[in-house]
Amino acid sequence: MTQLAAEIPPPAPPADISIRQRTQFLSSDLILRWVTAGSAVIVILMLSSLIFVLAQAALPSIKAFGFSFLVGSEWRPNSLPGDPMLDAKGHVVIEDGEVVTKMIPPAFGALPVIWGTAVSSILSLIVAVPLSLGAAIFLVRAASRVLIGPVSFLIEFLAAIPSIAYGLWGLFVLCPFLQAHVEPGLNGFFEHVPGLRWLSSTSGALTGRDMFAGGLVLGIMIIPIITAISRDVLRQVPRAQIEGTVALGATWWESCREMLTFSRSGLFGAIMLGMARAAGETMAITMVIGNNNQIKSSLFAPAQTMSSLLANEFAEASTEIHRAALVEVALVLLLMSLAFNVVARYLVVGKQSRSAAAH
Amino acid sequence: MSTANIQPVDPLGQSTGQSTFRSKWSRIKSGIMYCVCAGSTFFILSLLVLVIGYLISIGFSSINKAFFTMDPIPTGMANAPGGMRNALVGTAVLIFLASLIGIPIGMMTGVYLAEYDVGSRIATPVRFICDVLAGVPSIVVGILGYELLVRPLGSYNGWAGAVALAFIMVPIVARTTEEMLRLVPDSYRQASIALGANKAVTILKIVIPSGTASIVTGVMLAIARVAGETAPLLFTALGSRFSPITFDSSFPFMHATIDKPFPSLTAQIFSYASGADVDERRLAWAGILVLIGLIFFVNVSIRFATRSKRST
Amino acid sequence: MLQLIKRASVAALTSLAIAGTCFAETRLQGAGATFPEPFYKRLVAEYQKLHPEIQIDYQGIGSGGGIKGITEKTVDFAGSDAPMSKKEIEAAGGAANLVQVPSCAGGVVPAYNVPGVTVDLKFTGEILADIYMGKITKWNDPAIAKVNEGVKLPDTAITPAWRTDGSGTNYVFTNYLATQSEEFKGKVGVGKSVKWPVGQGGKGNPGVAAIVQQTPGALGYIEQNFADSNKISYGAVENKNGKFVKATPEAVSAAGAGAVEQFEGTVLAANLWNQAGDDSYPIASFTYLIVYKDLSNVKSKEQAQALTDFLYWATHDGQKFAKELDYAPLADGVTKKVDGALESLTYSGAGMKPMAAK
Repeated sequence: MTQLAAEIPPPAPPADISIRQRTQFLSSDLILRWVTAGSAVIVILMLSSLIFVLAQAALPSIKAFGFSFLVGSEWRPNSLPGDPMLDAKGHVVIEDGEVVTKMIPPAFGALPVIWGTAVSSILSLIVAVPLSLGAAIFLVRAASRVLIGPVSFLIEFLAAIPSIAYGLWGLFVLCPFLQAHVEPGLNGFFEHVPGLRWLSSTSGALTGRDMFAGGLVLGIMIIPIITAISRDVLRQVPRAQIEGTVALGATWWESCREMLTFSRSGLFGAIMLGMARAAGETMAITMVIGNNNQIKSSLFAPAQTMSSLLANEFAEASTEIHRAALVEVALVLLLMSLAFNVVARYLVVGKQSRSAAAH
Repeated sequence: MSTANIQPVDPLGQSTGQSTFRSKWSRIKSGIMYCVCAGSTFFILSLLVLVIGYLISIGFSSINKAFFTMDPIPTGMANAPGGMRNALVGTAVLIFLASLIGIPIGMMTGVYLAEYDVGSRIATPVRFICDVLAGVPSIVVGILGYELLVRPLGSYNGWAGAVALAFIMVPIVARTTEEMLRLVPDSYRQASIALGANKAVTILKIVIPSGTASIVTGVMLAIARVAGETAPLLFTALGSRFSPITFDSSFPFMHATIDKPFPSLTAQIFSYASGADVDERRLAWAGILVLIGLIFFVNVSIRFATRSKRST
Repeated sequence: MLQLIKRASVAALTSLAIAGTCFAETRLQGAGATFPEPFYKRLVAEYQKLHPEIQIDYQGIGSGGGIKGITEKTVDFAGSDAPMSKKEIEAAGGAANLVQVPSCAGGVVPAYNVPGVTVDLKFTGEILADIYMGKITKWNDPAIAKVNEGVKLPDTAITPAWRTDGSGTNYVFTNYLATQSEEFKGKVGVGKSVKWPVGQGGKGNPGVAAIVQQTPGALGYIEQNFADSNKISYGAVENKNGKFVKATPEAVSAAGAGAVEQFEGTVLAANLWNQAGDDSYPIASFTYLIVYKDLSNVKSKEQAQALTDFLYWATHDGQKFAKELDYAPLADGVTKKVDGALESLTYSGAGMKPMAAK
């Protein structure tokens, strides 16, 4: 990489450009233009194919459940026997390993997994945002030059650890630890503080694999992304802004706070992106959240997110409607991440225009 | 931007008792917050130590020569459980194929966004779509790969896996390329065009070479990202106990089987980690450690590369 | 730098292009149930020892995944712990187009983590059903105490653990409980994935095992050979004759022997749960291999012949490896039915004969 400068070829002196060369230039320019524009079109096609293919595959479910898919709270892939079908002797007919009855068809409502995704993402932000902002401020305003490089590198490396590794660590180290040392105390606290009872465990069983553990693991996983983006956002605060506050006698923290205020929309963007990442996280959350499609206010009840539902069931869904319902969940997940990005982007753009105004 | 919430310190007021108290409190608070920020950083780093330490403690003892040189051997046969050579080769080939597809598209898109039509009717939505695509949950990409390239082709296959990974790479490469090209000073372009080069030549010979180091960084980060992906491969490449590349004595000496189910490190780790066999689970831990080692290596080389660039 | 990348990729691409052009071999792909995965992996490796030119692979993705694979023709053969249901058979082209044969059998065991209890606990189907419906919530419930006389049971809450993936294990367990409790049949139902009213879900056997091992008071159902190879303790279950039996390959085989009469046609299926017999283990099932009756989908006659030979070998000579890996091998009566089903295989209409039977 050190020979970079040497690699920049000296510009060819076009002292005498003939017509031939001129047209050659023109055509190469056109080719590159069209090739790059073609790639850009491929990118557009990628997103549209994603939406189209998912919508197409989800069609049976969309037709069958309509809007109630989003608000239904029961996810039951199997049919339930209504009144059992009786044979001539009055016995229940069992055929093919399934009870033959007038069946209540499977029900697919995505509300529990939407709830699970929302709550676990919010929990993850509660964990990640203070730590990430603290680290970002430290990296921008406090750390010595010797530290900044290695520390940023290590935090970014935290982002590169495959999610399956976090999952196994969570399952075998974090969850048993939470169950034995954290959750009993926390649960007792919630039970005895009026107004917080709804957060405590209802069944009395603390398993360590629940919404709380899920939020924690997601939080750990999105720390690097929020830290990295916030650090970049904070770095863009004009030097004059900080120097000005310091010159006015502000303490270290006061000038940091001014930085945070100045770049707040960019920081919100960073947080939104972290939240989008948390919502889409699959492998790790599947292992620690307890995988129960239910809506419970307790932090210590097992739950399910959209992506963990997909990881659990997509490969095995052998009925058409079950598969379509899962693809619809994927579609909802996709649209949600799209919405997050719209908001995050709006905030970042807003910040850019504001900082431009401040100059 | 208002400065209302900065407490201006009146130089004349410093002598009064109240002001001294306030500024002292401010300084104490500032000290506390400094510790909080440093503490957060330290806490995050200790998490890294905890996770990596755990993985090393259980995986390191299972990394041996067989891990790299042998294909899996079922329980009960000689030399079981063998190693993960097939998966290592598989991941290498998958990344290579994904790069072949994803990097050109990504880079070209980045060039388009940075050099042509910067604010045009196409560029703005494309930029936005890149951001959206970068945030698409990878399991959703796996489902797309299944519907597009597995079901119609009648078999799980390596191409589907490679395309799914490429899908993840494209937005990352495109956005990094764009950002890096933006950093190339405009004076380079102006100089080139002033010397009579057209736009294409300027881009290919001046702008891209100046940004190469940073673009390579982006590409390597994209590779490191997809190397650790499991979810998109479960429904596309599936997995295989055979090495996708075999060698023999007849021309051309090397055979690649890509149109069949295809092994990968992450899918094999997932299958072993959730399987019944105790030996295989040890292989899974070793596999995770090797994977993290590879990603670490990529990250370190990026760091080395960018630092040496800065020093020139 | 860019030059280097360019050169490297051109070289690699060329070599890959050359490598990819010529290659013809017999390669078959199976996928499906995870329960028999160790057995099938062993089978394909042993078979390759005998026939090095034939490469067969099996990937454990779950029974539902296997049936989905054969229906959508993304695999050559499927493995499933649950026989194909009527709807699934219909989706795959009807029973006349399919061959489904058992390859071995296994038991599902109740594993638990009860602090202070060191002896094997006994369960009845009714107790298990009540636990999974949330009607029995404590380990010292009178119903459990009654069948476990002399065992000091703690006042610990029970956390029922279940499989989240669409597994044959769910199918066997829910079908067994449905025979034991009408209420369970109506409230939870049966199938490869059901909605459990209480408890916690884990993915695959290891997911459930992890919950059981880490949670005091947990009860989960896992496959017997998984429990054995991971040294997880499990209890005995009362069978139809009122005897408490602990799962062993023999006890499962005993249940299998009585099920031969249920086999009919080419899509063989039998329910092993709750079989009569003093030694029969009540929560057991066959695991099945599924192919199309006309093997045109495997692409060539050689491939079809290889698949036929392999299926024949797996259900005959291959059975010795089942026992070695703690699975229950097929009884002689079952093998005869399997032969009948395998003889119906064709390729583009022409009958296939397994090599060994020629």
